[in-house]
Amino acid sequence: MPKVLIVDDTAFMRKLLRNILFSGGFDIVGEAENGKQAVELYKQHKPDLVTMDIVMPEMNGIEALKQIKSIDPQAKVVMCTAVGQEQMVKAAIKLGAKGYIIKPFQAPKVIEEVKKVLGLN
Amino acid sequence: MSEKVLTKTTAELYKDGWVKAELTLTDESITIGTEKVTIREIEDLELVEVDSSQAIRIKKGGDIVFRVPGKLQSQIFRFLAFNLKSDRFAVYFLSPATRGGVVVTNVKWEKGYLSITDEAVWFLSPNKQLRISFDNLGSVDKDVRTVGGKQRVVLVIAHVEKGEVLTSLVLCPETTLEMLEHYLKQLIEKYKPKSELSDVEIQIATLIYSGVDSVSIESILGISTDELDKYFDKLVDLGLARVVKIRKELELTPKGVAVVSEAQKSQNIMR
Repeated sequence: MPKVLIVDDTAFMRKLLRNILFSGGFDIVGEAENGKQAVELYKQHKPDLVTMDIVMPEMNGIEALKQIKSIDPQAKVVMCTAVGQEQMVKAAIKLGAKGYIIKPFQAPKVIEEVKKVLGLN
Repeated sequence: MSEKVLTKTTAELYKDGWVKAELTLTDESITIGTEKVTIREIEDLELVEVDSSQAIRIKKGGDIVFRVPGKLQSQIFRFLAFNLKSDRFAVYFLSPATRGGVVVTNVKWEKGYLSITDEAVWFLSPNKQLRISFDNLGSVDKDVRTVGGKQRVVLVIAHVEKGEVLTSLVLCPETTLEMLEHYLKQLIEKYKPKSELSDVEIQIATLIYSGVDSVSIESILGISTDELDKYFDKLVDLGLARVVKIRKELELTPKGVAVVSEAQKSQNIMR
């Protein structure tokens, strides 16, 4: 079962992603509500994939992505963003994010994108 | 000057059932049986499903619904879509850019028109005639995208099609873009639901859109079935959702209890 770390500052969005990914056969190894926690949990769990919100308090998703990539250049991170934040997504892709999903999202599309990034399709 | 006839064919007109009629399309009008409509006066147009077949609905005051056999129907639809009464703007568009939250990769920028009719916004090109009814418009915002290697300001239009959120991009001169943004924002404001939703109602709508089932919604939000039913009723009353399935809650009859009890006994025996 591929291990996933969910990063989002809203509990609701974390629960939604947990529900979708768990139903899709993924093991949720942790949830973080900001970039700082995400980096710590990444070191701890070494997940196969991270879903990363962009706008978060303390440390945003872009900075967290940079730090995770410096710890593990092979890290697979999918950015999770709202319509209108595509410029930030572009920056994230340049920094090594492997894909992105735009809120609101549908479960099958999320699973499809995550599997694509993990090379499971 | 007389009208130039473009096509004549047999068609069927819907009047409480399908009635055979001759269709004549000219450069100025369309006549189906006894119904003659000047194309420039058509207020809107739509492909609709009637009796399990696809038909064309023309709005001009009332509705005229007709169908034409074979490929000719799409050709007539395209001709009408390009020539009906509308506010039309020459644009480049990319539609859809995303579907269900994920980027669509096999779509290219097209040169065409953004057309606004009485009931809908259209993306028109020789290959595509996409109609988005005002009810299905979600949001419109400016954003910067790389188009043809250059950073350009585009309009991002979020809309709904068959239960999925799509975004489409529009590129045109900046003054037109400003005007379109303002125009579309006014339309969205006019057609959005009058009643504001609470945070939990928005969360429930989001969960439904994501495909989460009722039991999981209760668990995610920590609410009871009765509470969820009330929220569902409100979303349905506001026209924001529709009922697709009614969940059954059961209580066992004494006979059912006996069956379960018996099954447990035999499981004990099996251990």
